[in-house]
Amino acid sequence: MTIDQGTAGTAPPSLIPTHTMALVGSLLRGPVTAEITAKEAQRYAQAVGDLNPVYFDEAAARAAGHGGLVAPPTFVPYALVQGRPIEETRTDGLFQGEIPLDLAVQRTMFGGEEWDFLLPVLVGDRITAETRLAALDQKEGSKGPFVRITRETTYRNQAGDVVARTRQIGIAR
Amino acid sequence: MTPAEQVGAGQPFIEDVAVGQELPVAVRNASRVQLFLYSAATWNPHRIHYDVDYARFEGHPDVIVHGPLQGAWLSQYVTDWAGPRGRILGLSWQNRASALPELDYEFRGRVTAVDGDVVSLEVWEQTPEGAVLMPGQATVRLPARI
Repeated sequence: MTIDQGTAGTAPPSLIPTHTMALVGSLLRGPVTAEITAKEAQRYAQAVGDLNPVYFDEAAARAAGHGGLVAPPTFVPYALVQGRPIEETRTDGLFQGEIPLDLAVQRTMFGGEEWDFLLPVLVGDRITAETRLAALDQKEGSKGPFVRITRETTYRNQAGDVVARTRQIGIAR
Repeated sequence: MTPAEQVGAGQPFIEDVAVGQELPVAVRNASRVQLFLYSAATWNPHRIHYDVDYARFEGHPDVIVHGPLQGAWLSQYVTDWAGPRGRILGLSWQNRASALPELDYEFRGRVTAVDGDVVSLEVWEQTPEGAVLMPGQATVRLPARI
């Protein structure tokens, strides 16, 4: 998959209906809050294959300058996943969209991510997340037009401080 | 050594880092068991990661490695290099194509800028054939020697 900027010429038909474009800037999810637990953070680290002692050994985390056990930087979104019944899955296994984006496309793929890590996330933190639809951009790629979907999530801790921001990029074609 | 005593061994310091410096290569190879455990740990029921028949129906040659798992590997690559007293400040990546299980993917990186105690890195994952699969950038704060 090549992600190219569209080139000048005949304008391709829009894949983004007007009423979907109007959602840019709106809240897609949240606020949702969850506590960071050692068990979940460590299961995630083990599944990734990242056995950094700061995730598993409190003395190691303190020796590294942290206030306690740390969660892997990319773990936070998964602490906030809300479980749902199997009956709510689709043919592809994914859960039915809570707020589906109406786009003239067949499927969406994970295109990448941009993270700002402002503060370490510690076990015991209570993290609140809000996700907004940050942008919808139609582009022209080597396989035809596609829509670049940017969802921005802000994570705050119990003190109200922003600990992280992420912009997840979806490629819909 | 206890894990706490290991902290600090191999810690890079800002004084020792220069633009153009290359990071050591790391290799990641996901087993099918790892894909399953990652799906479970992230509550991800997407069939393309564990159901070969379904993955082929969607046009993939096999089950595929989760894009965010490769992102987590990239994050680990950066935090392993930064050491226990380094701090990752930012990370971005693009998933250009799918990765498959049971293949060796290399992680590489180089220093692109040093500004005060903040180091900018170009980091990427490449296929066994050497093509860039997942380009990325990272910023890291490193401790000073004094």
